[in-house]
Amino acid sequence: MRIVKWLFIGAITVISLFPFYVMIMMSTYYSENIFKGLPLIPSDFLLENLRTVFKTDFLRVYANSLTVSIGSVVLGVLTSTLIGYAVAKFQFKLRNTLNYFIIITMMVPAQVGLIGYIIEMRHMGFGNTLMPVILTWSAWSFGAFFMVQFIRDTVPGEILECARIDGASEPRIFFNIALPLIKPGIATLSTLVFLWSWNNYLLPLVTINNAKSFTLPVFISTLGIVHRTDYGARMAALAMATLPVLIVFLIGSRTFIKGITAGAVKG
Amino acid sequence: MRTETVSKAEVRPRAVAVIWSGVKIWPYLFALPFILSYFTFHFYPLVYSFWLSLHDWNGIGAKTFVGLRNYVTLLTKDPLFIKSLYNTFVIMIMSVPLMILLGMVLAYLIFHLAKGRVFFQTVNFLPYITTPVAIGFIFSFMFDWQTGIVNAVLIKLGLMTEGYYWLQDPLMAQVIIALMIIWRNLGYFMAIYLAGMTAIPQDIYEAAKVDGSTGLHTFTRITLPMLKNITVFLIVTSIIGGLQLFDEPKLLYGGWSASTSGGPDNAALTVIWKFINDSFITGTRFGYGSALAYTLFVIIVLFSILSYRISAGKGEKS
Repeated sequence: MRIVKWLFIGAITVISLFPFYVMIMMSTYYSENIFKGLPLIPSDFLLENLRTVFKTDFLRVYANSLTVSIGSVVLGVLTSTLIGYAVAKFQFKLRNTLNYFIIITMMVPAQVGLIGYIIEMRHMGFGNTLMPVILTWSAWSFGAFFMVQFIRDTVPGEILECARIDGASEPRIFFNIALPLIKPGIATLSTLVFLWSWNNYLLPLVTINNAKSFTLPVFISTLGIVHRTDYGARMAALAMATLPVLIVFLIGSRTFIKGITAGAVKG
Repeated sequence: MRTETVSKAEVRPRAVAVIWSGVKIWPYLFALPFILSYFTFHFYPLVYSFWLSLHDWNGIGAKTFVGLRNYVTLLTKDPLFIKSLYNTFVIMIMSVPLMILLGMVLAYLIFHLAKGRVFFQTVNFLPYITTPVAIGFIFSFMFDWQTGIVNAVLIKLGLMTEGYYWLQDPLMAQVIIALMIIWRNLGYFMAIYLAGMTAIPQDIYEAAKVDGSTGLHTFTRITLPMLKNITVFLIVTSIIGGLQLFDEPKLLYGGWSASTSGGPDNAALTVIWKFINDSFITGTRFGYGSALAYTLFVIIVLFSILSYRISAGKGEKS
C-alpha cells in the first residue's frame, strides 16, 4: 500500500516537472542536435541560443511584459482594495447592492464584451498600445470580492472607530491604520495579478497588432514562424519567460496558494 | 446598537456629527474608482457588443441592422459553430472527471504525508503558473511524429515500429488537449482539495477512529461528504472555464498565422477559438462575432446553473 502511494505521488510529481526539465535541457542544445536522441543531458549551446534570442526584440518585449504586469498589479490591486474597504467597513445605503454587484460581475466571462472593448480602445486612441491589456484590470471583480472578505476578517472596526473619534480624516485612517493590516492580502492579490497578466495570451493577441507592443506570450508564439527551425533558441526564450513567474511564485507560494484557494473553501 | 450610539452622542456630540458627515461620502468615494472603471471598461463594451450583435458590420463600413439574424445563422446555418461547441464539450468530458479524481487522490495522499507536504504541494502546483505558450510548445514538441519524445520512447520500448502522427488524428488532438488541461490544472485542483481537507476538524476523525472506522470507509463516509462543496465549486468553475477554452488548443496548433484551421478536421476548434477566428483572424465579422460571444454567454449561464443543480443536488437526498 505504501509503495503504491509513493509510486503515485512520485509519478505525478515527475510528470509535473518533466516538461520544465525538457524545456531547460532543450535550451542548451544546438537545434539540429535536439532530435538525434532524447535531450535529457545538458549540452553546451546555451550561450549561443541566448545570443540568438537577444538578437531579436526580446529585451523590448520583456520590458513590455513587465510594464503590463506591474501596471496591472498597481491598478487592479488599488481599485479592488478601495472598494473592498468601502464594502467591508462602512455602513451605507448601497452597501448590499455593491456587494451583489461585485459577485454578479465576477460571473460574466471577459470575452462577451471583447469586441466592444477593442473598438472602444481604438476610439480612445489606445489601438496598438499596451493600455488595453492593462486597463482591463482596473475593475477586477475577483480582486474586489477577495478584498471584501479579507478586510472584513482582518481589520477590526473598533480601531477605525477610535481613530474617527480622535478626529483622524478618512484617507488617513485608510492609509495609516487599515492599509498596514491589509498588507498580506495585498501581497496575495499582487502575485495573482502579476501571474495572470504575465501569462495572458488572448487579450494581447487580439488587441496588439504592432510588433513594437508585443508581450512575451504573443512574441514567443510568433517567434516560431520567423525562426521555424531554431527550437533551441525558442526554448531558451520560453525558459526566460517562465523565470519571473517562477520566482514570484516561489517567493510567495504559501500566501499565493492560500489566496487562490480562499474563495473555494469559504464559499 | 442604538443605545450605544445614543450614549456616544451624549458624550461627544460633535465627534459623532463629524463621523456621520464623513461616513456618508467616503464609502462612495472609495468605491468610485472601481465602479467607474467597471462601467467604462466592462459594462459599456458589454452593451456595445450586444448592440453590435444585432448588426452586420465588418469593422470599417456602415452597420446594417439585421435584428436576430446573426443568432439564427449561428444556430442553424453554421455547422462549424455546432462542431466547435461539440469539441469543447468532448474535451471537457475527457478532462474534468479525471482532474477531480486525480486531484482528490493526490491531495489525500499528500495530506497524510508525515514529511514533505509543502514540497509536493509546491512542485505539483508549478504547471498551473506556467505560461500557456510554453505548455503549447512543449506538448507539440513531445507529440511531434518525427522528432517527438513520445514516439521516440514508444519506439525504443518496442511498442511501435514507426512514429505515429498524433497531432494529425482528430481524436488524438482532443485527447492531447485534454492532457494539457489536466497537466496544467491538476496542481490547482490538488491545492483546493488540500485546503478543504485542512479545514475539516480533526476531532471528527478521532471520533470515527474510536467507532472503529478505518481507511477507505473513513474516506468515503467522512472526507468525501465534507469535500462536497469544494467538488461542486470545482465542477461548476471548470465548466465555466472549460467553455472558454482557447489557449491550449490554439497554442498546440501554432501561433498567430501558422494555423488558422483548428487542427485536423477542426477537431481542436473550440468556441472561443472560432469566435477569435471569425472576428479577428480569418474575418472581421464583428456583428456575427458578438452574437457568437453572447450565445456562448447564455450557454455558460445555463450550464453553470445545470451543473450546480446536478452536483449540489445529489448530496441533499442522503
